[in-house]
Amino acid sequence: MSRGTAAARPAVPARIAGVERSLPVWALAALILVLLVALPLGWLGWVSVSSERGPTLAHYAAALSDPRLRSALLNTLVLAFWAGAGAVALGAPLAWLTARTDLPGRRLVRSLVLASFVTPPFLGAFAWVMLAGPNAGLLNRAWRALTGLDAPLVDIFTMPGLIFVVAIYTFPYVYIMIANSLELIPSDVEEAAAILGAGRLRIAVTVTLPLVAPALVSGFILAVLQALALFGSPAILALPAGFHTVTTQIWALFQYPPRVETAAAVSIPLLLATALLLQLQKRLLGRRGYAAVGGRTGQRRAIPLGRWRWPALAGVLAVMACSILLPYGVLAKAAFTRAWAQPLTRDNLTLANWTFTFFQYSATRDAVLNTLELAVATATAGAGLAALLAYIASRRVIVGHQLLAFLALAPVVIPGVVLAVGLFVAYTRPPFVLYGTLWILFVAYLTKEMPVGYSQSEATFRGIHPELEEAGRILGAGRLRVLREITAPLARAGIIATWCFVFIGVIRELSASIILFTPATRVMSVVIFDLKEEGHFGAIAVLGLFMLAMTFAVVVVVQGVLGRDVLGVRG
Amino acid sequence: MPGVTLRELTRRYGGVAAVERLSLEVRPGELMALLGPSGCGKTTTLRLIAGFLRPEAGEILVGDRRLSSPDAVVPPERRRMAMIFQSYALWPHLTVAQNVAYGLRLRRNCPRAERDRRVRDMLRVVRLEGCEHRYPGELSGGQQQRVAVARALVVEPEILLLDEPLSNLDANLREEMRFEIRRLHEAFGITTLYVTHDQAEAMVISDRIAVLHRGRVVQVGTAQDLFLRPCSRFVAQFVGRSNLVEGVADGRDVVARGALRLRVASAALAPGTPVTVSIRPHQITLSADGRAPAGANVLAGVVRRATYLGDAVDYEVAVDGGGVSLRVTAPPPVRLSAGAPVTLAVEPEACVPLTEED
Repeated sequence: MSRGTAAARPAVPARIAGVERSLPVWALAALILVLLVALPLGWLGWVSVSSERGPTLAHYAAALSDPRLRSALLNTLVLAFWAGAGAVALGAPLAWLTARTDLPGRRLVRSLVLASFVTPPFLGAFAWVMLAGPNAGLLNRAWRALTGLDAPLVDIFTMPGLIFVVAIYTFPYVYIMIANSLELIPSDVEEAAAILGAGRLRIAVTVTLPLVAPALVSGFILAVLQALALFGSPAILALPAGFHTVTTQIWALFQYPPRVETAAAVSIPLLLATALLLQLQKRLLGRRGYAAVGGRTGQRRAIPLGRWRWPALAGVLAVMACSILLPYGVLAKAAFTRAWAQPLTRDNLTLANWTFTFFQYSATRDAVLNTLELAVATATAGAGLAALLAYIASRRVIVGHQLLAFLALAPVVIPGVVLAVGLFVAYTRPPFVLYGTLWILFVAYLTKEMPVGYSQSEATFRGIHPELEEAGRILGAGRLRVLREITAPLARAGIIATWCFVFIGVIRELSASIILFTPATRVMSVVIFDLKEEGHFGAIAVLGLFMLAMTFAVVVVVQGVLGRDVLGVRG
Repeated sequence: MPGVTLRELTRRYGGVAAVERLSLEVRPGELMALLGPSGCGKTTTLRLIAGFLRPEAGEILVGDRRLSSPDAVVPPERRRMAMIFQSYALWPHLTVAQNVAYGLRLRRNCPRAERDRRVRDMLRVVRLEGCEHRYPGELSGGQQQRVAVARALVVEPEILLLDEPLSNLDANLREEMRFEIRRLHEAFGITTLYVTHDQAEAMVISDRIAVLHRGRVVQVGTAQDLFLRPCSRFVAQFVGRSNLVEGVADGRDVVARGALRLRVASAALAPGTPVTVSIRPHQITLSADGRAPAGANVLAGVVRRATYLGDAVDYEVAVDGGGVSLRVTAPPPVRLSAGAPVTLAVEPEACVPLTEED
């Protein structure tokens, strides 16, 4: 650029200088991302091997030789595997029934799956405590009243109970993968087998199943990943039962006196496990999956269920009852009654829980405000940053854009608890002392939601033909001007949707918040968790319903903006 | 109105050269077509000229302004060019008038009243009066195409670039738009580069055609130059159809193959060197009675196949003594059927020895 050869006309070099104006914007976005991801992970890794006397593996040795940690590890593996298997067992048939058959009420079922997708798992766990706690649980009381027996029907405070509760809120991941995959298989590939003489079962086994197999396995892996990273449900169900998972164990290591180094040493294997699983899932999808299935979407004809229609519907509704209807019902009951375990009588009905929660109990009021403030701030910053990063990557604006894409998606492998440990270490020391402020939560949410925001934005920009931007450039508009006048208006719907996704993610976040909060910076999920200790089920239910109402309001906005449902399944 | 000079341009994608040491001179006010099969580097060349890509070697000059070199690339918005894209790239969130006015809004010396006037005039030129307030999604393909043309021309660019602009239109509309683009070029006289893979399109629209192959310009000339005097096998076969006869020079203007001797349109062959001769099918006359014009190469042969094509008959004739068969295009009806002996006559000027490799 410095060589004056372009200066046959003197006006030209001055104009060239104007080109670089957009560079600081890209550089800043890239820098923020690198800080967000690299700083906590770097510190996490460093702390796990450092001591006063230089590098050491003592923390790992201590973690692995501690029998409590070993059993927590084992529990996590058991939980993750069986919850994944359960999610497949629930999600796969549901996906097939709604995508390929004439099951009655398919739209309703899809809406209910969506509802369980956005329901915070820890709320579901609370609801199931009220439903199936061994003594006061409503289902057990009904059982005792019905049979006169003394023993409870079910006890949710057990490993199978925990697996059940995790599975009924992770099966939507499997459902989404399989339903979207089935949507892409035109009926004619099955009919091609039928015309060659294959029966219905044979078609299912030799054609349909192999085509969805990658989606099936990758759905299983996604569900396992969810179960691995989960903190709320194990904390609510496993701790009273007297056992730990890795995430609750990491949390416990932060209780007084905190053992940060050991927590870091336990976090790293969890991080590696999730990274490995995700890599596996990617390769599965990359090899066959959609590439083979995709392309032109042909006609799909619904398979008639015949006399199995109504039994199938009953089965589907039973699943949805466990996941949505019963939990929401018991939450509603608890929110409007003095004693949730007592029958719904006129005396028992009250609005006291609501006035208490929103007007009397200062902790909840502050938490609601904190949560909203953080959600709006994170969604705005996150949607903006994600949009910039996705733009950089999809338009290859700067060198190293592939690295940015990788970094933006990297937090997907970081369980919330692990991220929180990293952030705690990174931001309790100079140059950034954020611990004790809302900022550390903001940073945590921003990092945690970046993959969701990034993939949403990336899809948005993929839908905008680069020639639309080039047409603006060649007519005389600089890159930033084109971004503002052409790209942004075209991407608006996608960016609003990104904002909403991040917002939903933030208001329900528990696993990072539970480690990073301080008394002045509590958020709704943390307060719900604390209220459990105090036995305030009414207030928990009120906050939970409030959280759900906000979530569903935002989901409705997204569906309006995108013109399709959040699960990505065509109606 | 400046011309465009490309000097030794090179651009690679992942080690594979899309454009390699490509040089081309476009004269001021000329419409030059870049013609070639897909993957020949023609779109890469256009995007290099537009400034969307940086060359790895070589330079691009417009008039005496150097716009691209490996060290410095003037960005697209400072090049005073306009471009019409294959996808049209109309902005779906702006009306037709807003689309067309976009480039003018970026010119400081164009007040609103003048802008509106120029947009109106331009929409009249492309016959889109009354569509000002419609959105691109509400227009037909041909109308969208014309909006793209208007948007590019209204800014009065120094250089106009077109990237296969007609490939998304159906056949009838495509033919109509060819003449439309030619008409607009004659009206405005903007130096224009037009990328296409369709030789008929290139012939209708352009003043000259540059044939690209494997990232290089293999021949530049008018449609007639390329058709009558192709310089290589590739040009002979890509622009129109051609018979290729491989032989050995047997004198300064004679090529021999077995018993076959052809006088060719050259007097500079080195005897003994291998030569390929291109003969266009329609430049061969065929007769059943052995008559031939004086001075022509006369070949005897047998009809192998005669195919009726409506406006012509395509014969395949096995030529005696040379071990070759030639395709001959003759006017209908079918006068000779398979097995008939036949005499072929070709003027020496129609036998073009190919001088370039490839």
